[in-house]
Amino acid sequence: MVRLPPVPAERHVIGIDVDVLFGAVPHRQLDASLDAVAHQQESHGIRRGLLCSLRGALFDVSSGNDETRKATEQQQRFVPVGSVDIRDALGAEDEIGRLAEAGVKILRLFPPEQWVEPGSPGLAAIIDTAVGHDLVLLTSGDFSQFWRPFADRGARVCFLDVHAYRVADFVVTARREPGFVASTRMLVGPDSIERIAGEVGAHHLAYGSRTPLHDVMPSALRLRMAGLTKQEWKQVAGGTAAGWLGEAL
Amino acid sequence: MIIDVHAHAGPWFFATDVGAAELNITLMDRYGIDRQIVSASEAVTYDMVAGNRWMAEVLEAHPRLLGYVVVNPNDLAAGARELEKYQPTGRFVGVKVHTTYPGQTLLSKAIQDTMALAAQAGLPVLVHTWDESVLGLVDVLERHPGLRVIAGHMGGPAWRTAVEAATRTDRLYLEPCCSITDAGRYRYALDRVPLEQMLFGTDSTLVDPAIAMGVVVDAALTEDEYEHVMWRNAARLFGIETDQAA
Repeated sequence: MVRLPPVPAERHVIGIDVDVLFGAVPHRQLDASLDAVAHQQESHGIRRGLLCSLRGALFDVSSGNDETRKATEQQQRFVPVGSVDIRDALGAEDEIGRLAEAGVKILRLFPPEQWVEPGSPGLAAIIDTAVGHDLVLLTSGDFSQFWRPFADRGARVCFLDVHAYRVADFVVTARREPGFVASTRMLVGPDSIERIAGEVGAHHLAYGSRTPLHDVMPSALRLRMAGLTKQEWKQVAGGTAAGWLGEAL
Repeated sequence: MIIDVHAHAGPWFFATDVGAAELNITLMDRYGIDRQIVSASEAVTYDMVAGNRWMAEVLEAHPRLLGYVVVNPNDLAAGARELEKYQPTGRFVGVKVHTTYPGQTLLSKAIQDTMALAAQAGLPVLVHTWDESVLGLVDVLERHPGLRVIAGHMGGPAWRTAVEAATRTDRLYLEPCCSITDAGRYRYALDRVPLEQMLFGTDSTLVDPAIAMGVVVDAALTEDEYEHVMWRNAARLFGIETDQAA
């Protein structure tokens, strides 16, 4: 059977996963139910997750956000993440206000999933509104394309799709954007995570798995084996996200 | 026992310091990989002749590594000379052909001629597959009875089509390494493709083997599946002798 390399005890548990979804997945035959997602997280040694409903991303924002809130009441391992539909920036203004009023601290954007280009005026308006409400943003999309609408706005944003091939683009941008964070999921090179931590600091990194759409062990094992100091590892495995939530590392 | 059938050696143009072949060995040791079949990044992306030459030197120094002769489909005559030069060394056990860098589509005449060349030499071909055209390999294999093709990356985003292709011919092998680890992708293939056609690859050192190992863990292989996909199928396909029981 598969024998994995030994992992230090303090790396067995990953504190917070910033990239967790649940709901229906029309393009796959997957069990993405809340229970299934919670089980996957638990079985991979992930303590908590920032959870967002696919219903909000792919179909209806308002009921999706309500569904997320209920899910996080049921499964307290999860923190609610709101979403908006970028194709309806007018509706998004109201929804962001509603989310902020309800105490939601994190808003997830789905530009490629909602067929939105980086230059979309609606996307820019939504980012401004979210920053105005002091929300932390999570976003999918190719970093080299989607960095621009988030830049020069004081945004705190985690880019969920930063690929190992984009490490240099991320580093040169993060040098002047203190709030830019890369999810580790696609930092798949043998030195991608380590390079970013060394260049701009581990506070620019956060662990993300994209449960249940992606296998969890690849990103979890890569992080557990990362060449980081204890402090850096703790930061990436939960500290960065804890900071967004106003919690101590 | 683990045989990694899809790996590279040498530097890349990204912000990554992975050029030394010693890193291949370090990562193999870390993840328990016994043998690795590698192609030179230089031969894949830039200069076939210089890259293969460097690869041959590396293989002499590192017995756990075996090589792919990279053939650029745009210069088949030179590719044939590369094969004549390196196949007799016994250190090169397959042919690698890419599509992106030579600017050829998977089913182009140039790529098909390259595969035919490999078939004549009796070597398996690892080809980069990344779209629905992977299904066309079924017809290519039908036209070349001696050909054995490994669909590198298992079609990438077109993995369901790659699986469909592998169910139509017993000479198409699937190698699943991919930085986009769609959930259940490997299990989907294992449940549909004859086990003898499934392989293991990492894309190291461009990609850390943790990614491919993680995919294998999440696929929850049985003992029998593990034996076949992690080394037995590769040993048979490439004629690699091992100290494991047959």
